[in-house]
Amino acid sequence: MNYFPFSRRTPLRLTFWFGIAVIGVFGLIPAIAVFVISFTNIRGLPGLPVDWVGFENYVRWFSPAKVGYNLNALRNTIVYSVTVTLISNVLGIAIAVLLNQKLRGRNAFRAIVFLPTVLGVTVIGLIWTLFFNPGGGPAATVWSWFGAKSAFFGDPHLALALVIFVQIWMGLGVNVVIYLAGLQAIPEDLYEAAAIDGATGWQRFRNVTVPLLAPSVTANVLLSIVGTLQSYQLAYVLTGPSNLATQLLSLALFSQAFGGNAASGLGNTQGYAATISVIQFVIVGIASSLVLIYLRRREAKL
Amino acid sequence: MTAQTAPRRRRRVRPQSVINYALALVVAFAYLFPLLFVLNTSLKSDQDFFRNPVGLVTSPQFGNFVEAWNRGHFGALIGNSVLYTLAAAGLGTLVSLMIGFPVSRGYFKHSRAWYGLFVVLLFLPNAIITQFQLLLRIGLYNSQLGYILIMAAAVGVGPILIAAYARSIPIELDEAAAVDGAGYWRYLFTFVVPLARPALATVFILQAIGIWNDIILATVLLPDRQKAPISLGLYAFQGTYNNEWGLLAAATLIVAAPLVVAFLALQRYLIGGIVGSVKG
Repeated sequence: MNYFPFSRRTPLRLTFWFGIAVIGVFGLIPAIAVFVISFTNIRGLPGLPVDWVGFENYVRWFSPAKVGYNLNALRNTIVYSVTVTLISNVLGIAIAVLLNQKLRGRNAFRAIVFLPTVLGVTVIGLIWTLFFNPGGGPAATVWSWFGAKSAFFGDPHLALALVIFVQIWMGLGVNVVIYLAGLQAIPEDLYEAAAIDGATGWQRFRNVTVPLLAPSVTANVLLSIVGTLQSYQLAYVLTGPSNLATQLLSLALFSQAFGGNAASGLGNTQGYAATISVIQFVIVGIASSLVLIYLRRREAKL
Repeated sequence: MTAQTAPRRRRRVRPQSVINYALALVVAFAYLFPLLFVLNTSLKSDQDFFRNPVGLVTSPQFGNFVEAWNRGHFGALIGNSVLYTLAAAGLGTLVSLMIGFPVSRGYFKHSRAWYGLFVVLLFLPNAIITQFQLLLRIGLYNSQLGYILIMAAAVGVGPILIAAYARSIPIELDEAAAVDGAGYWRYLFTFVVPLARPALATVFILQAIGIWNDIILATVLLPDRQKAPISLGLYAFQGTYNNEWGLLAAATLIVAAPLVVAFLALQRYLIGGIVGSVKG
């Protein structure tokens, strides 16, 4: 029996197991069950028989009829994740360094960048739908200066880039706030010492800021990668559930399992859709461990 | 001290700070301009919009707001979202406390294994299908309670943050309270909760942001329009009135306005909460 100073253990057990039960029943067990149902032909309608089908769903994932669709979603997800992670972290550091200067109203600037996090994905979706309205909006006006026209979110060559842009716009605030916290933890006297040694602004950034910011970089990059590999809310709101140009893995999962809307999707083959979730899980696992190992090594070196 | 800082300040004087302000204004513009454009559009009539979509509004049509409010039932939808966010993030935070604290203290066997489980919770696969199947089978499909339970279970970093924070509360305090005859619950809720308030606030805020932004789980688990959160309701509104830009813009602002006000009031805590999570 482990050490416990209080006289009765029952209350401890009650609340602990209550918490574990909530997480277990509604989070952990469904997550584990994803692996199990990916080997069945379970459907969205209750009452239909469920059979084991072995690896049939996985074979189907790679079958000629499906593999194009699936690899397209995979490719989009990787492009999305890599570009969002890179750009929002570079911009995040730049803006954090900027707002860490003695700047009047820097709290206001910080709040402005953070604002989209609170507005929520649908409001942001509407704002940018209005902005990129092909029938006339600021973007269409700028395009017309160059004699160009575009369908924006309706243009398959542009749609993913625009969703990426909005995702960066939306998520940058969290990156900036985390980097600002990292910057504020760097002792001021290191900069003073560097200045006395005659270091230029860039040298101070390169040799003081960057190494000491490394833990924040690790946290931010990891958050971005895990978040973007699994994200779909914004693509759903901006371009709908079944637009091939912006099809991400999670969105493919959603439209395969629920047919784009729940009411009509009750007969869908959810066992097959679960394979997408499993494959995505493996990718997230591999990508985040590789990045974590790489960044930890760099942290140690810097 | 002054001798050391003086040269830095002198070097940084004019040109650099002018550039800094210019850059900061560019950033602010990138964030405020889309919002101002929506505000401008929301005050336009349809004819006005089609004549010149980007021109400044000449005769403001406040009627757009009245109409959007009447047609969209945004009051009820925002009410739903507030209910889901408070209930699910509240329950999730409570659960994080109930499991994070004793594991951090080692009051159960195998605390390392439990801690490992907390980490595993961060990397779970997308379980939307099985969560849907679960609710369907236990009769909580299309139920507000079912949706709240699913959202509450997504605790993310919650237990880890609470466990990390609990280490800053000395275990002697547990012992002293026990000697004084307090039970575990009384100790947890009247001593630990006030002491761990920063960590609890962080956990609550992180989970609340996720719930407030959810649209897909709500689409799947709550087919009944009456139960929709505002994210889903506004999306449906966009689908219905997809060509009435003034109305759409007004609806966007109706939903955004209370958020902006709440954000300005709470931004210290919100941003502090995010920062706290990373330090922990």
